Amino acid sequence: MEDILEEDLTLPPCKYEYLDHTADVQLHAWGDSLPEAFEQCGIAMYGYMTTLSTVEIKEVREIEATGHDLESLLYHFLDELLFLFSCEPFLICSKVVITEFITEGEDFRIKCKCYGEEFTLGKHPQGTEVKAITYSAMQIISEPEHNKFQVFVIIDI
Amino acid sequence: MNVEGCFYVNATLEKLMLDELRNACRPGMVGGFLPGVKQIANVAALPGIVGRSVGLPDVHSGYGFAIGNMAAFDVNDPLSVVSPGGVGFDINCGVRLLRTNLWEKDVLPIKEQLAQSLFDHIPVGVGSKGIIPMNARDLEEALEMGMDWSLREGYIWAEDKEHCEEYGRMLNADPAKVSMRAKKRGLPQLGTLGAGNHYAEIQVVDEIYDKWAACKMGIEDKGQVCVMIHSGSRGFGHQVATDALVQMEKAMKRDNIETNDRQLACARIHSEEGQDYLKSMAAAANFAWVNRSSMTFLSRQAFAKQFHMAPDDLDMHVIYDVSHNIAKVEEHVVDGKPKTLLVHRKGSTRAFAPHHPLIPVDYQLTGQPVLIGGTMGTCSYVLTGTDQGMLETFGSTCHGAGRALSRAKSRRNLDYTEVLDKLDQMGISIRVASPKLVMEEAPESYKNVTDVVNTCHAAGISKKCIKLRPIAVIKG
Repeated sequence: MEDILEEDLTLPPCKYEYLDHTADVQLHAWGDSLPEAFEQCGIAMYGYMTTLSTVEIKEVREIEATGHDLESLLYHFLDELLFLFSCEPFLICSKVVITEFITEGEDFRIKCKCYGEEFTLGKHPQGTEVKAITYSAMQIISEPEHNKFQVFVIIDI
Repeated sequence: MNVEGCFYVNATLEKLMLDELRNACRPGMVGGFLPGVKQIANVAALPGIVGRSVGLPDVHSGYGFAIGNMAAFDVNDPLSVVSPGGVGFDINCGVRLLRTNLWEKDVLPIKEQLAQSLFDHIPVGVGSKGIIPMNARDLEEALEMGMDWSLREGYIWAEDKEHCEEYGRMLNADPAKVSMRAKKRGLPQLGTLGAGNHYAEIQVVDEIYDKWAACKMGIEDKGQVCVMIHSGSRGFGHQVATDALVQMEKAMKRDNIETNDRQLACARIHSEEGQDYLKSMAAAANFAWVNRSSMTFLSRQAFAKQFHMAPDDLDMHVIYDVSHNIAKVEEHVVDGKPKTLLVHRKGSTRAFAPHHPLIPVDYQLTGQPVLIGGTMGTCSYVLTGTDQGMLETFGSTCHGAGRALSRAKSRRNLDYTEVLDKLDQMGISIRVASPKLVMEEAPESYKNVTDVVNTCHAAGISKKCIKLRPIAVIKG
């Protein structure tokens, strides 16, 4: 585990929303770059599990995700974040920073630092449980010429 | 389409179904989720399907298969497929009903304490951890043995097993086929209720439609107190499903399986992926039974402490335990010939007719009890299986209310305090871990369970037996 620096404690602005879906919820996140949209999507998922303002940054973990295309990369990235929460270290994050974002040829890879603390009943309000990430109606919009980067993901709850 | 698709509705439910279809077909509609009607049709086009692709009255749009969809595949047809989407993420999500020898008047004076005690005993909501001591080796054994494990460890009574589908243990479970990831997610969550639509309720018998069948279940009269537990395989099952979907994408490419919808990931039953999925799904099913059994144990403890009586003396027997997200190999008659089928039931409950060899001795004459969980504040039902159901739907019926409003819409349209006040007026105590959930799970967000059950009854695919009314609800 790494030390946490002063600058790590500043939170990113909120660039996500929750959209309607009959049984589940659709995350819509955006940003000034594709990695930022991915980061925001990760935070959106954590935001559904608890109230993020109650989360202090005490711990940082690094995760890696790979995929065979952009969609599967996003899928596995979110799945890794969910896994980080679901078992040891039970981490709930208010900030995720993608340090490596490779999307060349066959190689789709993300390295990411996740900032947060262990989920503690009593301290963190219980939101809704996320069962799984789905490919259902997944959309990734990447239009650098319009500075438009958006992702849509349905999570099963 | 290889077979016909059909769905059972009454006038109200028909409107909901067709509205969903109309909304999804509106020009310029993005987001692109498929309506239930189309999903039923896509399932009817899968290779190896026999009979019909059936939508039960509570059907609504889901991932791949609609929720409330039954589809059966001929095991002896080499082209037949198994699909994790036809089971759902929460493998062996199901309902269990316990009876007691208490009456409403015994419980009312200490209703609040009892609700609190249940809430304190059962870990609920996101991030809660199980309190039944477990290590990695215990988990391996539990996955293989299902409720036999719970029995060996002393958490359940031997009779409990009798009143479960498959006697609480799927024999083809193979923990070696389950990823480390799933086991890691599962271990801390064993013995937890979960969140979302899962609940534990104290209910009282509100009406008895079939006195004789009710007697066989140990229900004597109106006012008798029961406990209903609705939960599944938690993170373990979710991860098994996720892993299988990834595997099957590859298998589909290799075997050139064509489907109408990318979400209908599937593999041939006899392929390695198909067999691996069935074995790991069985392990997840066992996990769910152990999970419900652990909560049965905790509920019995909570009651015992409040009434200062042993659970035995309170007659807290399991009436029945049903699975409503599962795929099973069963024998059915198709076009007059017996066939071995892999029956997928997603949001659909098995409802076997009287005299079926797979139902317990106690229910041989009544037909299998079918437990239909309502939603927070609405009634639940016990139905029994019928011969007509065996023919029309391969012994399947509805599973609950089925969502009508999206979660976000419920949150916007409904008010937290209003929902709570309403429940209070109906005399229902509530303990909930997440306040947001109160709006999402409010009765208004769901189809009317009475409509759903009446449709099944009128269609003859199952028969009404008992109606239960909640007096206390514990939720994630």
